Amino acid sequence: MKKLFLGILVVSMLAATLLGCTPKPAPVVKYKVGMVTDAGTIDDKSFNQGTWEGIQKAATDMDLDIKYLKPAGTTEAHYITEIDNLVAAGYKFIVTPGFKFETTIFAAQTKHKDSKFVLIDGSPHAGDWTSVVGNNTVSIFFAEHESGFLAGVAAAQQIKTGEFGFIGGMEIPPVQKFNWGFQQGIAYANKNFGTSITMKEENVIYEGSFERIEAGQQLAATMYDNGVKAIFAAAGGVGIGVIQEAVARAEAGKEAWVIGVDVDQYAAGIYGTKQDKSVILTSAMKYIDQAAYDMIKAEKAGTFPGGKTLTFDAKNNGIGIPKTNPNLSAEIQASVATVFAKLKDGSLVVAAVQGDLIK
Amino acid sequence: MWDIIIQIAGIIVQIFPYAIAYTIPLLITALGGLFSERSGVVNIGLEGLMVIGGFAGALTISTFQRSMPGTAIWLGLFAAFVAGALFALLHAFACVTLNANQVISGIAINMVAGALTTFLARNMTGSGNVRIRGMLRQDVPVLSEIPILGKTLFTQTYASTWVVLAILLLSAFLLYKTKFGLRLRACGEHPHAADAAGVNVYLIRYLAVMLSGAFAGLGGAIFLATVSGEFSGSAGGIGFLALAALIFGQWKPIGILGAAFFFGFATTIANVSQVIPLFSNIPSILLKTFPFVVTLVALVLFSKSSQAPRAAGEPYDKGKR
Repeated sequence: MKKLFLGILVVSMLAATLLGCTPKPAPVVKYKVGMVTDAGTIDDKSFNQGTWEGIQKAATDMDLDIKYLKPAGTTEAHYITEIDNLVAAGYKFIVTPGFKFETTIFAAQTKHKDSKFVLIDGSPHAGDWTSVVGNNTVSIFFAEHESGFLAGVAAAQQIKTGEFGFIGGMEIPPVQKFNWGFQQGIAYANKNFGTSITMKEENVIYEGSFERIEAGQQLAATMYDNGVKAIFAAAGGVGIGVIQEAVARAEAGKEAWVIGVDVDQYAAGIYGTKQDKSVILTSAMKYIDQAAYDMIKAEKAGTFPGGKTLTFDAKNNGIGIPKTNPNLSAEIQASVATVFAKLKDGSLVVAAVQGDLIK
Repeated sequence: MWDIIIQIAGIIVQIFPYAIAYTIPLLITALGGLFSERSGVVNIGLEGLMVIGGFAGALTISTFQRSMPGTAIWLGLFAAFVAGALFALLHAFACVTLNANQVISGIAINMVAGALTTFLARNMTGSGNVRIRGMLRQDVPVLSEIPILGKTLFTQTYASTWVVLAILLLSAFLLYKTKFGLRLRACGEHPHAADAAGVNVYLIRYLAVMLSGAFAGLGGAIFLATVSGEFSGSAGGIGFLALAALIFGQWKPIGILGAAFFFGFATTIANVSQVIPLFSNIPSILLKTFPFVVTLVALVLFSKSSQAPRAAGEPYDKGKR
């Protein structure tokens, strides 16, 4: 009898809960955007961070669900694992910053046909350099040579006379183009603004990695010892070592400048007892964040340019140097702005190939 | 010929301070490994312990560098020393108390350190990379005036360099001239004999492993304060290189000094070779692999007379005969 009573009670309670429940609106499924980082960390103050900041901005503006994954290594196998993980978790829009993702995205775009990929700084290929941009992929390039050119023009005008150096990461097209553009910028300033900046062949080098901070520091130390006044460091983590060395010298009262890369690195070079000075003369920027943001926006608006290869350059404000930097005078900023305008209207063309430039 | 020698000498004088900056973290970390291994516990977790030290150092320095700029660095080094010792307790507990496999425990330390510190750094500071103001290079007064030698040894030095060299001397004294040192070495050679003589093997091994953690932590913080200037969840492989230096140096303080110096110098030459016209014709891959090739050759040559502590790697089991 007791058991029967209990049974009835339980059933009625269950019924009450079920009936009492007004059907809730189904939870809003946010659009999911994922990212896989390249070599280095998400806080690298450079490439990865720039991309991620663009995605974060998009998330605030468009109410997205975002996530990044850091591969355990930097081979194609590591990259593809993380892309598979993102896809499996429902992140069907994936941004991958870095030239090194080229072959990975080539594989991923056919493997995950219902996902969309944004490849920054590269074009998918099977390892044979014949680019195949799938309908679900956008390949984005930046005019690094134009960015390096502007930085060269600005830095040369500020320092006026002396030697400059260049430290690159791996010897890959985006880094090489920074170097070539930078050298052309210096030559342009020497010719048109009466500066006399020189670059010796031994002071233009590629370290060979994006991670080895200590190598960057030692290379920079040797260059500064040999009389170089400013180093353009397009080298990720290696560049952090360069900045560190310049800061150490500036703290000791010696002249040492660094030209930053990818994002405005001013804050990375801050020194002085009041923390009010920086060794970063200017930065050769690529608006990576803007590129990531634009692609997400296009996807949300249904105009994802799948299958296309886009170039961000001076014409569409995809590159430039920071608008403000206390180390550059207002006249120099104005002069750079004129040069930028010339790049924009096409009356000035920067070569994206080596030609007779150093390395 | 003569002018090439003079050029090379000039280059050596020039890069010497930078080679030392890289050698010192390597040296102190290898010295930590020495204490652990001489007591009979293999510690391949040095890299991870360096990361822990770097994290503790970065956090302390970035907290105090505004209020007390000069002392913040030393506080950071001390914090790294303590944090390294505490984290090494995990290794000691696994290897000494639980008789776990020492290699596996070391690998676990390496894996957990990078992930844990990055996670903590992101939560505590908002970024996985913590930037600090590094230590300043200074010329030693008077001594730096000595021709050639003064410029090589006493210019552009970090205060931490002298501290580490003092620790090295002190360690050599501790190992070879004190009761504690004798007991520690006995535990690494024949723990049963040491136990029979009334030595508490467990206690000695605990202390030795903690000391190794403390030194590795210090190494990580020195690397942070002098070379990298930024904590990023890795120690650049110096912990593993320190293990090689330990073996190459035949588990002796003076040997380690030589080995660390050799690695530091060879690595620096490889790094800067591209900027030096004299070396730029040599493929940098040759220079970069040079120290490791020499290590392999040396290991082959010395393998017969290798003096690894006999009980290193074996958990101490009282009941075993």
